[in-house]
Amino acid sequence: MATTTLNPAAPAYRSTLYEWLTTTDHKKIGIMYLINSMIFFVAGGLLALVVRIQLVVPKSADVMGGFVTPEFYNQAFTMHASFMLFLFIIPILAGFGNYAVPLQLGAPDMAFPRINALSLWLLPLGGLLMASGFLVSGGSAAAGWTEYPPLSQQLGTGTDLWIMGLVLIGTSSILGAINFLVTIFKMRAPGLTLFRMPVLTWTVLVTSVLVLMATPVLTSALIMLFIDRNYGGHFFDPANGGNAILYQNVFWFYSHPAVYIMVLPAMGIISEVLPVFSRKPLFGYKAFVFATVGIGALGFSVWAHHMFTTGAVFLPFFSLMTFLIAVPTGVKMFNWIATMWRGQLQFSTPLLYAVGFLSMFLIGGLNGAFSAAVPVDFALHDTYWVVAHIHYVLFGGSVFAVFAGIYYWFPKMTGRMLGEGLGKVQFVLMFIGFNLTFFPMHQLGLAGMPRRIADYASAAGWNELNMAATVGGFIIALSVLPFFWNVLVSLRNGKVAGDDPWEANTLEWATSSPPPPYNFDHLPEIRSERPVFDARHGRTAAH
Amino acid sequence: MSMPPRSRTGSGPLIAGLIIAAVVVVTIVVLAASGATPAGVWNSFFPMHGTGGVTDRSGSVQNLYDIVFYIAVAIFLLVEGLIVWSVFRYRRKSTDTDLPPQTHGNNLVEVIWTVIPTAIVIFLFALSWQTLNVVDAVTPSQVHVRAVAAQFQWSFEYLDGPGDNANVVFKQVIPGGDAGGLVLPVGEPVHIDLRSPDVIHAFYVPKFLFKKDVVPGRNNNFDFTIEEPGTYHGQCAELCGAGHAAMVFDVHAVSRADYDTWLADSIAKANATPAPAPSGEAAGATVELVAQNIAFNPGALEAPADAPFTIHFKNEDPSVPHDVEIKDAGGAVAFKGDLVTGVAEANYSVPALAAGSYSFICTVHPNMTGTITAK
Repeated sequence: MATTTLNPAAPAYRSTLYEWLTTTDHKKIGIMYLINSMIFFVAGGLLALVVRIQLVVPKSADVMGGFVTPEFYNQAFTMHASFMLFLFIIPILAGFGNYAVPLQLGAPDMAFPRINALSLWLLPLGGLLMASGFLVSGGSAAAGWTEYPPLSQQLGTGTDLWIMGLVLIGTSSILGAINFLVTIFKMRAPGLTLFRMPVLTWTVLVTSVLVLMATPVLTSALIMLFIDRNYGGHFFDPANGGNAILYQNVFWFYSHPAVYIMVLPAMGIISEVLPVFSRKPLFGYKAFVFATVGIGALGFSVWAHHMFTTGAVFLPFFSLMTFLIAVPTGVKMFNWIATMWRGQLQFSTPLLYAVGFLSMFLIGGLNGAFSAAVPVDFALHDTYWVVAHIHYVLFGGSVFAVFAGIYYWFPKMTGRMLGEGLGKVQFVLMFIGFNLTFFPMHQLGLAGMPRRIADYASAAGWNELNMAATVGGFIIALSVLPFFWNVLVSLRNGKVAGDDPWEANTLEWATSSPPPPYNFDHLPEIRSERPVFDARHGRTAAH
Repeated sequence: MSMPPRSRTGSGPLIAGLIIAAVVVVTIVVLAASGATPAGVWNSFFPMHGTGGVTDRSGSVQNLYDIVFYIAVAIFLLVEGLIVWSVFRYRRKSTDTDLPPQTHGNNLVEVIWTVIPTAIVIFLFALSWQTLNVVDAVTPSQVHVRAVAAQFQWSFEYLDGPGDNANVVFKQVIPGGDAGGLVLPVGEPVHIDLRSPDVIHAFYVPKFLFKKDVVPGRNNNFDFTIEEPGTYHGQCAELCGAGHAAMVFDVHAVSRADYDTWLADSIAKANATPAPAPSGEAAGATVELVAQNIAFNPGALEAPADAPFTIHFKNEDPSVPHDVEIKDAGGAVAFKGDLVTGVAEANYSVPALAAGSYSFICTVHPNMTGTITAK
């Protein structure tokens, strides 16, 4: 094994900015992943407000002189989803992985630190390329984040920028996945067997396999689309022997596993937070790991449930697999509740968000089962019901987990605690705003409101529910303000955290806050999945 | 096993309880203020707010929905109840210095909560497969319609038989309203073929509890029987571009006799020599009006009051019909021009209008609106 020089002396002329821009330290890279993702979270959120203002009343074009044109409306929801999925949720979870995985493995850094820096810097590059569509004539991509051809072949240069940006983002994901896999398989500390790995690291492992298998398929779909648009290809052009459905198959072969890429690490965060704040081990650790692997495997057999109404897929198979994937998800839910059961719950902000995740993700799972029943999906597909479903999964699920993770690891990252009061205010506002925005969308979908329409008739009976959703959207926007204020204040004046403020379990809490370069001066013995707990209480307490 | 009773500590549960109570009270007040009744709220959890569907297949979809809904509600109450119970019951209190029992798991309960959900979802799958066979069943039918979805316009071609070689006996180019729409007989199996010349659309009539994509290069079709007469709103459900929201249509379900009369009349009207496009000599002043991308340009016209004038109307939307209907402030129709299918132009001779404000629309696309000021 090569020896590493700890703390190489940095030349004195390097500024902090230069240091951050050129760093290969996984912790700084992880933090920059989070910052970059939060910027796109705000941008995507503002675009969501555009959508909500447009829909606040029927015929808003008459009432408000047209808040936005239908063309811009289509760009707004397309870029809202593109930012939120590709530039916020996926990268911010990769950011947590970047920050926490090497620490949880007792490793000094990722396996390929320079590739890690490349993965990071491809993201703002890809994001800006995508966003630059707003500056070209015809505006940004506007065929929905799915960019189905032939519609996406009709639209302007913004779509090409969207494709190029997303290819870069996909490349970032693939590089990151390889990096995670090598790190996890080759750089675990002595004694840290696979079945002693923290669950977050397990979920990052499974997610990386998904990324590695699925993302190249997305890239191929995007490149085919690019060829069709620019070089006279006819992959998806039925007028010339192409097949429009082919794109949907290839796209969803990536994008359904991508839902698990956006959810599994979030589940990992919850599985770190719940045991610590319940003062108990995770209930059914191995069942949890098997369920994660099961979701990852089944995730590749359900892509066509996004295509039930195309008339081009074998419905019973995809219906069955979609129903079945609920089972490992349900196993996790019961394990989480059993973790809290007879525990001693410490209601710090991370636990609030974790409980918020449990209660909202439950709804996101149950309303998904409706769409697994194909005939019900015929009624609900492409209505606001589906919008409600995806937001209960990705906002009620992933975003709540993201905030649980931020409040949980902020002390480790900065050495200071985030304020509890502001954290709780943020949680309450976000929880109320979230439900007010997205719960009525179930009823809108049941009442027949299709998604992605820029306007609706007053007589359709959708007025009050849309008004409620818009009010809720502004409450969500409001809830983000105390968060940013909290971060700014706590960075300067927050309570000093110490190494292990939460009495946690995993190795990142065995080093200082923030950890030194290359992470550890010494490691505790690793005899279980909770080495720091063992060091604190002794091995006998654990059993 | 008995646990010692715990005293709650801290103000957390109190504050949480107050917030929950406040939210519940505000919700009830707002719902009541907006005229919602308990029955109405309950019904909003069901398709079409509990009024259900109108085809021979929608009943089975409704039944399947109800079963999934009640199972989902039961699971929701159970699991959410366990979460809430844990949150309030197992709070850490100041005397909790020792660790709670460090339970690592239990294989029996893992098996239980794997097997029971598996049984539930297999049951639901079997049920939904059964329903799918009802919904997707092929029924021999006498009524064949080809629904053509194009940006941003529905049209309906009535065929004299099944298959691609059938002749079009009548083409309905006005997708909605009393004078247009998809007219179908009640109590009679109907076969719909879906065609798109451009991008993907979706045929969606909420009251049918059904939709199907209209995919270019693909011959999707479906069968159904409407059981209740009435007018049902339909809309494109797959994003198709800037005019997506304007792609609405109406289904008029009428008795077989009325349907036959309507179809015969429509065929006769279509076969009659079409009236020459109202071009002729322009009377009075001429105002220019363009219809493009399912919108009027300009949206506000000015015309002389109390004198006939001419609208020089240009339709720039290829193969999309538009017209101009002028209404006074009271909603009475002052003028209605003939349909012009793009790309084409026509001169509408508009009778004298009294001074004042008028609105005009395209009767094919009620979202296309504008105003005329006569002065």
